[in-house]
Amino acid sequence: MRLAAVQPLVALARVGVTRDGNALLDDVVLDIAPGEVVGVSGPNGSGKTTLLRLIATLIRPDRGTGHVLGARLATPGAFGVRHRIGLVGHEPALVPELTIFENLDHIARLGGLDRDRVMPVLEIVGLAGAARRRIRAASRGMQRRVEIAHMLLRNPDLLLLDEAASGLDADAAGLIEAITTRVTANGGAVVTVSHDPSHLQGCTRVLSISAGRLVSA
Amino acid sequence: MTRVRIWFALAGLALLVGLWMALTAPADALQGVWFRLFYVHVSSMWFGMLAFLVTAFASIAWLVRKTPKWDRLASASVESGVLFTGIGLVVGMIWGKAVWGVAWDWEDPRLASTAVMFFVYLGYLALRGAVSDPQAKARRSAVLGAIAAVQVPLVYFSVNLFRTLHQTQTVRPDGMTMSPEMRPAFFVNLLAFTLLYVALVQARIFVARAEEARGTTELAAGDAVVPPRLDEVHDV
Amino acid sequence: MSTMRQAREVARIDLVVEGRVGETIRVIVPFAVAALLVLPLAQGPNLALLRQVGPAVFWTLGLLFGMQIALRQSANDTDARRDLYALAGVDPAARFLGRTASGTVLLTVFLAVLFVAILALYDTPLTGAAVPALAMSVVLFAYGLAALATLAGEVSSGLRNRGALASLIVAPLSLPLVMGAAQTAAGIGRDAGILSWSLLLLATDIALTVVGVAVAGPLEEART
Repeated sequence: MRLAAVQPLVALARVGVTRDGNALLDDVVLDIAPGEVVGVSGPNGSGKTTLLRLIATLIRPDRGTGHVLGARLATPGAFGVRHRIGLVGHEPALVPELTIFENLDHIARLGGLDRDRVMPVLEIVGLAGAARRRIRAASRGMQRRVEIAHMLLRNPDLLLLDEAASGLDADAAGLIEAITTRVTANGGAVVTVSHDPSHLQGCTRVLSISAGRLVSA
Repeated sequence: MTRVRIWFALAGLALLVGLWMALTAPADALQGVWFRLFYVHVSSMWFGMLAFLVTAFASIAWLVRKTPKWDRLASASVESGVLFTGIGLVVGMIWGKAVWGVAWDWEDPRLASTAVMFFVYLGYLALRGAVSDPQAKARRSAVLGAIAAVQVPLVYFSVNLFRTLHQTQTVRPDGMTMSPEMRPAFFVNLLAFTLLYVALVQARIFVARAEEARGTTELAAGDAVVPPRLDEVHDV
Repeated sequence: MSTMRQAREVARIDLVVEGRVGETIRVIVPFAVAALLVLPLAQGPNLALLRQVGPAVFWTLGLLFGMQIALRQSANDTDARRDLYALAGVDPAARFLGRTASGTVLLTVFLAVLFVAILALYDTPLTGAAVPALAMSVVLFAYGLAALATLAGEVSSGLRNRGALASLIVAPLSLPLVMGAAQTAAGIGRDAGILSWSLLLLATDIALTVVGVAVAGPLEEART
């Protein structure tokens, strides 16, 4: 496959993000083609999460230009592609007082997803028996499975994983690998960040980030 | 659970009998039929205060022994106490409106002190609801439960300290102030509320034990979580 | 999914969570009713005075404690949840409308309980004929306060001292709501004209809705 002829899903050209006088990202250049699994490693505070949130269109760049799924960042068009992006963040984005089933059902209702797929997806991730357990009573590993179930429901073109593998058992880690394969097989791409390089072994390309600057590993 | 059902059945029967006796007992010479609210009001207030004293005892027992059964008893008794005190206050306000012309007399220390006591124990329940760790919940509740009970004797003896609209104690060391024709209805309702209090506390303790058991099972076994079906991820 | 359906879903989940956490019913409502004890205990028992100030106390406590109820909803929003909503394509206007709706329900329940307590404890007079109009002013007040608190929560989102800041924003801006509702209620009691005050209340509610929907998108963008 000639990557040069394929439109990149993510194209960042000398992008910088500054907040409260601090350069969170600086002079970032990054192209991600369909089918790629890009790993980014770096210590805490190096800008990994900021990079992911930028690609998710949740942060606007202050310098440079960026395109995600064909839409230019910091324009109204960027909002239009959000539904094609899936983010499994550092902190769980779940409602603690709702059950596992209710959390997914809520997300499905909001996003106009097929609610009939919620239980089948929970069965696949191995949580069907715990569907009535409240999130605040669920372990971190179980909460991660719920978030992965959410990604299975959403079927994103661009999957972003922030320390997704940390604290997971072998079964759940296998889930991340499976969904990564699914996304790339469908022509999408995956960006996964971790402070632990051993979590990035399945990546097609690994970069490192330090003080907001991206370099090849 | 069977034992709880028996208590509720006995309490229900006694309440029905008590209600019938209250409705058929002679009316008061001054207050007329409104006096019948007395049978519910006094019983509710008595058991409200008794429940809070039980909580104090159980709280101190927990602080000394640290066994869960005392915490269950303390919290179950507060829930009943709040319920009975609330009923007593509402019935008392209805009675007061009918007899005094006002639902609430701010000059009456019995009323004011009872209201303050009621809100303190509502705060006890809110405190328990705000803490998720069982040990921390029990410890904080036990301290509050032990301290808050100082209000009970203040509330009970407040009618003796000031002359107000509120009736003084019905049962005193020198005898009862109630006419003999009314006493059977009073004692039957007192018995009914005793049975109801025991039934409610038993039921609440049963539920608390069941909740603790379910939590332990879930945390220990993890049966609900099974390995994912990785080969189906592509097909969903 | 349409904005209104998303708003309904946001409101539904807010109320489900409140039903399970119970902070409004278990903590704030009892606290507000307990606050009714303060004035007579501090001032001395004077039933005539209490009857007179009962309505003012109702609206004052309704505002102060109502603010806490309404602001609590947005205080529970984590960054991760907001990101989730953003990526799920939830219209920021839908989030505003949904939060306002759930806040209105909770505030109406709270004000109803407070109202009954004031009637009993302060012997405030009330005629049966006044009840529907009073109920209307309470609901309009509840809606306006919910909308204002939701807006203030969004404006102060992510800032240090956001709780105090949001309260500081709500309190003075709520004056048209308090005046409109209190004067409507007082006018009902005196059988005086209430139209102008009711219109002030309604106009404030409409203005808050329009502003809330209009700025929801830009405020969400400002997060980025």
